Amino acid sequence: MASSDKSPSPMPSGTDHPRPPGQPMTVEQHMIDKGAQLVQSLKPVKQMNQHVCTFALYSHDMSRQIETHHYVTRVNQDFLQCAVYDSDHAHARLIGVEYIVSDRIFEALPPDEQKLWHSHAYEIKSGLWVNPRVPGMIEKPELENMAKTYGKFWCTWQVDRGDKLPLGAPALMISPQPVNLGQISPELVHRRDNKYNISTKVLRDSRVEIAEPEWINPQADYWKQDGKGFAIDIKFTDMKLRAPFP
Amino acid sequence: MSTYPEVHGEPTKTGTAFLETATATIQNFAPINKIHQHLCAFHFYAYDMTRQVEAHHYCGHQNEDMRQCLIYDSPDADARLIGLEYIVSENLFLGLPDEEKPLWHSHEYEVKSGVLFMPGVPGPIERQDLEKVAKTYGKVFHFWQVDRGNNLPLGLPQVMMALTRDGQLHEDLLRGVEKRFGISINNERENRAHITGPTHGIHPLANGGGKGLKTELREVDCRPTDSVPRVFV
Repeated sequence: MASSDKSPSPMPSGTDHPRPPGQPMTVEQHMIDKGAQLVQSLKPVKQMNQHVCTFALYSHDMSRQIETHHYVTRVNQDFLQCAVYDSDHAHARLIGVEYIVSDRIFEALPPDEQKLWHSHAYEIKSGLWVNPRVPGMIEKPELENMAKTYGKFWCTWQVDRGDKLPLGAPALMISPQPVNLGQISPELVHRRDNKYNISTKVLRDSRVEIAEPEWINPQADYWKQDGKGFAIDIKFTDMKLRAPFP
Repeated sequence: MSTYPEVHGEPTKTGTAFLETATATIQNFAPINKIHQHLCAFHFYAYDMTRQVEAHHYCGHQNEDMRQCLIYDSPDADARLIGLEYIVSENLFLGLPDEEKPLWHSHEYEVKSGVLFMPGVPGPIERQDLEKVAKTYGKVFHFWQVDRGNNLPLGLPQVMMALTRDGQLHEDLLRGVEKRFGISINNERENRAHITGPTHGIHPLANGGGKGLKTELREVDCRPTDSVPRVFV
């Protein structure tokens, strides 16, 4: 039925507005939300302590590239989990989840699992990956850690395709790479740089001394091996039951 | 609180922790600050009802008709981010293409049965919001199969479904949340007897259309290099 690389049928109700369709928030709902926020501790989301802006490409169609905003929680020295949004605004759309592991953890993953992951070294060395508003000096130790990591990013809302609501199957995303298909469109980078008043090129120059990892496992960035990407299909099947459904 | 094995990894180094404290004060967390609500419920795999997961939803509104939620395996600081859920009003759901509808599940039973709750929120306020939730539909993907003991997020995203009738939920999962959150789901069920589901009834295509759903990985060719203009950035 649904596939990450197939365009969904058009939505009957359509406006050209990029935001999801729906009524504005009512005063009543604002009150309920404020009330809940006051009494609930929301501990897991309060652990997010880093905002990363970078870019990603669809594994099934690398000509489609997006700017991403990662809100990152470090679980421990070898593992981070990120909520990924399409902007850093209050109305940002939640477009997916990325997991980040150290090279140590990555090397221990089964080979078929490793194919779903991408390397981060180029993304960081190239200046594409930034911590907006964080001075370079403070950013650097973390970038040195991150250059050796691998990520697995599932995108569940293909906003670049114009989807007003999250439609279809999740898509596997991959990281920018210095070879042909993996390069990010200069316009996309330029737009991001203008927004934060930064220069990816200057950042790249300032990151020359960040050590290149001695080894990037070729099972990651699997498309570089034989030009194959991945799509996800959702299919009907039987459900194992313990009571009638639905 | 977590009953599953921990994510293996070295403890966070002091330098790293310091950096993150610094960034947290300088950076903009607007999308995260919009998260205003914690809902607890259960999900099961869309091809296997016997595998059920306690799901802690942290939700923000996009507008009156839509919420987006991060799903964690516990309400604690060390919780694992296991998935996400989108919640839309009946009105938006009815506008979805038909082939999309089976991926979404109804919320009427979860609300009316008392199984879905907002930890720490007084009943009358909770029920005000749940009257809306009961009429909505949700689309959930889990990326981390913690219920099978995975200490890392392995494999493909999974379509998840929600409870639709009595007899589906494992009794021990129910007792677990009642004990930890000091609630009685059966008592709460009576308080919610007046709540109603979608105005047009639960759509027959929702909830997988009554069938199971599974995800599969397919290899595709990357586009030929010359189809995309390239300039080194």
